[in-house]
Amino acid sequence: MTIGVKKVSLQRSMRDQIFLPAILEGLLTSARHFFKNTMTKGMGDVDTIRYGEPDVDPKTYYPARYRGVHRLMHREDGSVRCVACMCCSTVCPAKCIHIVAEDRRDDAEKAPASFVIDELKCVVCGLCVEACPCDAIRMDSAQHMTPTEERAEAVLGKIELMSRGSRSVAVQGGHGADYRATEPAADPRFPTAR
Amino acid sequence: MTSSDPPAPSRPRSATIIMQPEPPPPPAAARAATATTVKLPDNKPAPAPAAPNLPATPEPGGATVKLVIDGESLEVRKGTNVLEAAKLLGKDICHFCYHPGLSIAASCRQCLVEIEKNPKLQPSCQQIVAEGMVVHTESPAVLESRRALLEFTLKNHPIDCPICDKAGECTLQRHYMNHDHQLTRVDVPKIRKPKHKDIGREIVLDAERCILCSRCIRFCEEIPGTGELGMTFRGDHEILDVAPGHPLDNAYSMNVVDICPVGALTAKDFRFAIRAWELRSTPSTCTGCATGCAIEIHHKHEEAFRLVPRHDPDVNGHWMCDEGRHTYKTTDPAKRVRYARVDGEEVSLGHAIATAARRLRARGKKVAAVFSGTATYEANAALADLAGLLGAERFVVGRAAGKTDALLRDADKNPNIRGAITAAGNARHEGELALELAGRAYDAVLFVDGTFELSEVVRKTVESITSVVLADRVTPLVEACTIVLPTTSWAETLGTMINRQGRLRVLQPAWRAEADRREPADLIREVALAMGERDLGSSRDRTRAIAELHDHAELRRLTADPVAARPTLLRFSHSRG
Ligand code: SF4
Ligand code: SF4
Ligand code: SF4
Ligand code: SF4
Ligand code: FES
Repeated sequence: MTIGVKKVSLQRSMRDQIFLPAILEGLLTSARHFFKNTMTKGMGDVDTIRYGEPDVDPKTYYPARYRGVHRLMHREDGSVRCVACMCCSTVCPAKCIHIVAEDRRDDAEKAPASFVIDELKCVVCGLCVEACPCDAIRMDSAQHMTPTEERAEAVLGKIELMSRGSRSVAVQGGHGADYRATEPAADPRFPTAR
Repeated sequence: MTSSDPPAPSRPRSATIIMQPEPPPPPAAARAATATTVKLPDNKPAPAPAAPNLPATPEPGGATVKLVIDGESLEVRKGTNVLEAAKLLGKDICHFCYHPGLSIAASCRQCLVEIEKNPKLQPSCQQIVAEGMVVHTESPAVLESRRALLEFTLKNHPIDCPICDKAGECTLQRHYMNHDHQLTRVDVPKIRKPKHKDIGREIVLDAERCILCSRCIRFCEEIPGTGELGMTFRGDHEILDVAPGHPLDNAYSMNVVDICPVGALTAKDFRFAIRAWELRSTPSTCTGCATGCAIEIHHKHEEAFRLVPRHDPDVNGHWMCDEGRHTYKTTDPAKRVRYARVDGEEVSLGHAIATAARRLRARGKKVAAVFSGTATYEANAALADLAGLLGAERFVVGRAAGKTDALLRDADKNPNIRGAITAAGNARHEGELALELAGRAYDAVLFVDGTFELSEVVRKTVESITSVVLADRVTPLVEACTIVLPTTSWAETLGTMINRQGRLRVLQPAWRAEADRREPADLIREVALAMGERDLGSSRDRTRAIAELHDHAELRRLTADPVAARPTLLRFSHSRG
């Protein structure tokens, strides 16, 4: 399974205990980067990202796995993909996700009536994305949370989170046969809609 | 239902309770000579359905059997099964279809164990212990059969845990994590069955999640005896269903939600309300009727979400009724009385207590003290003391009678009418109270809770005289009274009640009452102190006295140590079902 245990040795060698070699090494690294990035031609490997300037496409400036503002993904019919399982709100260390579930009254059964993330409390750890069993919440929006005048503006609701979302085609249960690929039995004694 | 083990008629500790540590002296002058005294109802026999499966703990003096389980020898009651015997050693043999309160079907084969000198694995739920039996519950063959059977059970299971109300307390989830824990090898589409089918007043069926253990079928046949559920079709296509036109609507139908090991049967009332792992559980007593079933309150913060039965062989067995499950709604946060009111204005608690004391105490006032079958014994006993000080006339009121049957539900919908009558002493009936209030016979009236039902005439009287009510939620009576003191509800109180059998039932606080809400007996004590009377003792003191009087270890622990009453997070407790 995906969970493993990594054992870290806490034994320190003599060299670690004197500290001096490590400090000197660190200073040397800093000095090397300092000279490389300021004195060399082409300014080394530091990019100065000109956030907010109109000619800048943020997507090209964010690393591929940058954790940006949350977004909620869509189903094929454009409705919210989240099923209000509360895994993300349970795992969230900042306790900043608040979900109220409702009955969708169709075969997908459950959906969030409201889905609120307080981006000011969020510590951008990405655990909510890891926890989600439905690929419903993502942080790959390639946008960082912009400053707001009012606190309330940083508390994002379902509509706003979905506005950044797109269609997800992930299959529940991962690889293997999609049991939903078959239609429910056509027997009239098995009503599926209420 | 086979009743092989009739409940013991009386246990010395809890039966026939005389709950009066110090009876208040009856104020003879205040008592009308014609007063009709409310009669104490007769003790009713314990109606709890006896479990068909004997627990393994040996009875004193009963026949026992010696056997060896996983190298440990133990002595168990004769006639018990291997699964129950292993429980004594703290071994929970993985099982689905066995339930201690139902007959044995041995259909799921999840509980197979190895018994020496037996060529095949045996279902431990059905295998009765025998002298000298040597059982292995963790041999390689057993582990392999467990894992293989789980894989088989999961073959058609939809695994929609994200939308399943059982997730977090699901037996299938627990067994998978403990015994299987491997990726699926199924590469053919699963069999589709009806999802979210409305099969009755309280229940939604998801036939795909059903693992065909037949617990619910046996429950309906054996406990309420209605038999609505049954299996149709065979093999892969076998589904649980009700017959057309015969919905699952017996008075105990919600028990199937608890006993279903998976989320196939879920309660409409709890549907999507909250995830199980967010809930905390506090043991308490149902206040829906005089039976006083042992329950757990499942709550988050200061809100209750459901009530589930707790096993009590002397009172309710494993079950409770649907009506009782809905009584958590009486703790609705939207209806709570949070602050004191005097003449319709919100005031501080101290001011309200002082006003109540002054107005009740005014010279020459005729006061009526109204005891209630829905308040705790402590509250009623405190009121009895205050009534003695005031020379008040005593009445006992309660909820109207309701539906009853031979199983658990009692027609008397008051959880503590016996306690109220015992505490009140020589009290009169609510009909007389209504008549006398309509005739304006009193200058002041003091209600111990908001249960009393008002007629139009009585409401006018209550509005015009000094009327004090100790209320946890808004009722018509509370709206009419001139002084309202906010009390804790039954889910916030440590207190006792006496059920129809005369047994002591314990209420435990599930959460700390917010705002100005105090335990009713403490408020009455404050009122007496404000009158300049003696200290009547706190609610906790009264509970402690009862614990000592009945030598009730659990109650003594709760009164001594407030931490003992702290609820458990369901996330860390066992799965249910
Ligand atoms: S990124 Fe971390 S802190 Fe932010 S919402 Fe997700 S889980 Fe919570
Ligand atoms: S974990 Fe995913 S599906 Fe579950 S509530 Fe969060 S966003 Fe919705
Ligand atoms: S019954 Fe259990 S395993 Fe099945 S979907 Fe529900 S929680 Fe998951
Ligand atoms: S619905 Fe639940 S209790 Fe009934 S047979 Fe299926 S799994 Fe068992
Ligand atoms: S529990 Fe023993 S066979 Fe099902």
